[in-house]
Amino acid sequence: MRNKSIVLEAKQINLAVELVELGARLQVLEAETNLSRERLLKLYKEVRGESPPKGMLPFSTDWFISWQPNIHSSLFIDIYHYMGRHAGVSGITAIIKAYRLYLEHIEVNGLERVLSLTRAWSLVRFFDARMLTTIACTQCSGHFISHTMDLHDQYVCGMCHMPSRAGKTRKAAAARMLTEVQPLPLRAVAAPKLRGIARAAAAAARPDRQPRARPSARPAMVQN
Amino acid sequence: MTKEQLLDEIRETNLAYLLLAQQMIKLDKATGMFRLGVSDDVALILEQLSPGQILKMAASNMLLCRFRFDDRMILGLLTDYSKSKPMVHSHAAVLMAGQPALGLA
Repeated sequence: MRNKSIVLEAKQINLAVELVELGARLQVLEAETNLSRERLLKLYKEVRGESPPKGMLPFSTDWFISWQPNIHSSLFIDIYHYMGRHAGVSGITAIIKAYRLYLEHIEVNGLERVLSLTRAWSLVRFFDARMLTTIACTQCSGHFISHTMDLHDQYVCGMCHMPSRAGKTRKAAAARMLTEVQPLPLRAVAAPKLRGIARAAAAAARPDRQPRARPSARPAMVQN
Repeated sequence: MTKEQLLDEIRETNLAYLLLAQQMIKLDKATGMFRLGVSDDVALILEQLSPGQILKMAASNMLLCRFRFDDRMILGLLTDYSKSKPMVHSHAAVLMAGQPALGLA
């Protein structure tokens, strides 16, 4: 399609650049702007410095139901719905604003970026197509994503009722190893060494005194 | 804390709140409304307040911002430290995003 208005085209290019920076794939750009495919390709390469990934977009609605993706995408869709209901923005603008707020939440809490912009965009399309819907948790009354035709009389969300293995992935275990386990051997190795250095320094400062063993420190050895 | 001190603190909090709220709305209306939890009409009022009006509003002996968590669930989540912190904050964020906006009667 050919653009007649230059101002409109500039706006479209701005939108496309913003989307590429947030991590959108080419299919999203093609659907949300009316720039030609060649221009979008050029734009993508210019912004990202690499060719866009090929292949189809992820199309499974089941991804949004599994535990961790469900929490992240429920947060996104709740913000998106708030934008539509109260702030009066819709379409791709609402997606961008909600996604930025979601990213901010991730950053503040040091979480992993599970939901990509492309996934968020297809999530909104699944909602428009009524394949997915939100359902209120009976315990916390938060709104969580579920299949439209699923029967949920007593729905309890993934955070009120955590699955037993939730979040205990190999990656999470490795991250915990780095933060928690590492200081322990460090302290165990470093502490005696430091104590030894301190004792040597004290002995050097007072050369007239002989270093002697304290009998109270090792009572078992004295008895033997 | 004496009464004068208390009133001073309230005025200062009011002023800081109003200025911040107006700045948030002016910067990005939709995002500001989400963060503040207010509806369209309240956002419009906040946006159009002149500096003089803000000063007048702030010089009150009532606090102008109110406690947002009338939900026992969110309050419990945010103050409970038994679960991992990022998860709890995500849960609270989902609940707060689902709350209705504060509008004018």
